[in-house]
Amino acid sequence: MGVESVMRLTTWKAVPICLAAIVLATGAASCGDDDDGGGGGGGQAGGGQDKVKTAIVLPCATSDPWCKQGYDAAKALQKQGAIDLKVTTNAPQDTAGVTRVLAQYAQSGTQLILAHSTWQDAAFAVAKQFPDVDIASYAFELRDNVAILEEPIYQAAYLAGMLAGGLTESNTIGGSAGQDVPLCHAELEAFEDGAKRTNKQVKMIDAYIGDWNDSAKGKQATQAQIDQGADVVIACGGGPATGMAQAIKEANISGFGYVGDMSSQAPKNMVGSVLYNLGPYFKAAVTDVKDDTFRPAKRYEFGLADGGVSLQLNDGYSVKEIPANVMDQMEKVQDQIKSGEFKVPYEAGA
Amino acid sequence: MDWSEIFGPDALVVLLSTSVAFAMPTALAAVGETVAERAGVLNLGLEGMLLSGALASFLVAYYVGSVALGTLAGVAIGIALGALMAFLSVTLKTEQIINGIAIVLVAQGITAFTFEKLFGGGEQPTVAGIPDVNVPLLHSIPGVGPVLFEQNVLFYVSVAIALGVCLLLTRTRFGLSVSAVGESPAAAEAMAVSVARTRWLALLVGGAMAGLGGAVLVLGQLNVFEEDVSGGRGWIAIALVIFGRWNPLFVLGGAFLFGFTDALQIRVQAVSGGIASTVPTEIFGALPYAVTLVVMVAATVWAGRDAQPAALGVPFRKGVGA
Repeated sequence: MGVESVMRLTTWKAVPICLAAIVLATGAASCGDDDDGGGGGGGQAGGGQDKVKTAIVLPCATSDPWCKQGYDAAKALQKQGAIDLKVTTNAPQDTAGVTRVLAQYAQSGTQLILAHSTWQDAAFAVAKQFPDVDIASYAFELRDNVAILEEPIYQAAYLAGMLAGGLTESNTIGGSAGQDVPLCHAELEAFEDGAKRTNKQVKMIDAYIGDWNDSAKGKQATQAQIDQGADVVIACGGGPATGMAQAIKEANISGFGYVGDMSSQAPKNMVGSVLYNLGPYFKAAVTDVKDDTFRPAKRYEFGLADGGVSLQLNDGYSVKEIPANVMDQMEKVQDQIKSGEFKVPYEAGA
Repeated sequence: MDWSEIFGPDALVVLLSTSVAFAMPTALAAVGETVAERAGVLNLGLEGMLLSGALASFLVAYYVGSVALGTLAGVAIGIALGALMAFLSVTLKTEQIINGIAIVLVAQGITAFTFEKLFGGGEQPTVAGIPDVNVPLLHSIPGVGPVLFEQNVLFYVSVAIALGVCLLLTRTRFGLSVSAVGESPAAAEAMAVSVARTRWLALLVGGAMAGLGGAVLVLGQLNVFEEDVSGGRGWIAIALVIFGRWNPLFVLGGAFLFGFTDALQIRVQAVSGGIASTVPTEIFGALPYAVTLVVMVAATVWAGRDAQPAALGVPFRKGVGA
C-alpha cells in the first residue's frame, strides 16, 4: 500500500471524529445559555454592581426533575435581580469533562458556581486552581471555597410514608433506588418509619437497581414490588423514579414522586411528590458571596422547617381517598417537625 | 427467606413474562449485531443506533400520535445510521472501531440536544402506551401462555423479526453470503459474491434491528424518553454476540438469560429484605453478568470450536489478499 493511500485513509478517518466534535461543540455552545439579564458587567469586578456573577452547571436536561429544580431556583434569583446567571445543561458526568466546564466559568470571572451534581473531585480541582471562585456542590468534605449542599429529603419522605401507611390495603409498600447511598437509604428508611407510625402492620420491600438513569430497569423494579403485593411505592433517583411513575400508572396503584413535582407523569396515581427545593440553598450561597461570608465554606442544610424540602400533594390523585385521620396525623407531625418538636430519625445506613 | 416467592409457579410466570419483555430491546440489537459481525464488520455504533431509534420513535409517536409510525421512524433512523456506518467502514474502508464510537458520541450529543431544545424546562412529555393483547387459544396454555402470549403487539412483531433474522442468517443464500464474506472475503469475491454489497446489507439489517430495539424500549415499555435512555443496552448486546459465539440463536438465548437473571436479582433483593438485607446489594447487581458469562463459557467449551468470523474488523480491499 502506497504512502498516498495511507494519507487518504488517514484523512477520511478523521471525518467521523471531526463530525462528532463539531456536533458536540455546537450542542454545548447552544446549551451554554447566556442568560445575562442585562447589566453587561463592566471591567471592574465589584464596580458598583451588586449582582453576583453566578453559573449553574446541570448534569441533565431541564426537563429532568432533578435539573429542573436547580434551574428553576437559579432562574428565580435571576428574576429578583440578585444574580447574573449563566447556565450549562447536559454537562459531562465524568470528572475530567465537568472539570473543564467548571474551569471555563471560573476563568471567565464567575464568582459563584452552582455545580448541581455529585462533582466533588471536579469542584476541588477547580477550587484549588482558581482560589477566587466559590463553588457549591454535593460533596462529602468541605474546602475553604467549596460548600456542601445537603439534601434532607428523608424528612418529607417520612410524611409521605405516613400517608402510605394509611393508604395501603395490602400492608405492603415498596421503594427502589439507584444505589445504596446515604441520601436514598435515609429516604427509604424514613418512608418505612413514617408508614409504621400510621400502620403497625406495614411491611416494606425495596431494591437497588444498580443504575441511576435506566428507567426501564426502574420500572421493572417497581413492577416486581407490585407483583409481591406492594400498593404504595416511592423511588430515589431519576431513572428509578421515572420508571416507577410508569409502573404505577399501568398497575393503577399509588406512588410518590421524587425531587420534582412528578404528578404529570401519572396524574391519577401520584399521591404527591417529595420535593427538594433549591431556592433557600442558592439564596443563602448567593447572599454569602455578596456579603463576603462564604468562606470558610459551610454545609447548607434546609429541611422541612426552612422550605428546603416539602411534601406536595397532587389534587388529581384518585386511586382512593386518603383517610381523614391519617391526613390530620400527617399534618400534625409536619407542624411538629417544623417547630422542632419532633425530629425525623436520620438512618443513612452503614 | 421464602423461596416460593421467587420460584413458586405463580411468581415464576410473572418473573418470566416481565423479563422477556424487558430483554427485548437488547435481544433485537444483539441479533442485528450478529448479522453485521458475521459479515465481518464490528459495529460499535449499536448504542447510538438504539438511542437514536428511541428518540425518533418517541418524537413521531408524540407529535403524530401513531405507535406504528413511531416504530417505523425508529427503524428508519436505525437504517440511516447503519448506512452511515456502512459508508464509512465498507465504502471508505476506514477504521471500524473509531466509526462506531463516533456514531455513539454523535447520537448521544444530538439526542440530548434535540430533546432539550424541544422539551427543556417543561414537564416531561409522555406518549400513550400500547395495550397487551392475548393471543387466542395460545394464551391459555398454562405457564407458556401468560409468559409469551399476553404481551403487546410490538412484542410479537419483535419476536417474529428476531426469529426471521435468525432464519435469514442460517437458512438462506443471503446468510451464506454473509458468512462467506465474514470468513474469507477474497474467496467470496472470487465466487462472485460482492463483499461490499453484502456488508452494506448486513449493516442496514443491524441498524434496523437496533432502531427497532430503541422503539420497543420507549414505545413498548417506558412511554417516556430520557437522555441516554438506552442505558448501555447496545454495549451489552455487543458483549452478548461474543458470548453467543456469533450464533444468532445462542445470542438470542443469551439476551433472554441476561434479562431473566437481571429481573431475578431485583426480585431476590426484595424478598431477602431489601435495604435491611445483610447481603451487599453489589452481589445481586453482579449476578446477571456472572450467570450469563458462566453459561456462555460452558456453551463455548461444549461447542468446542472457534466461532469468530476470520475477517471480523478487517476492511476488504480487492487484490490485497485476505
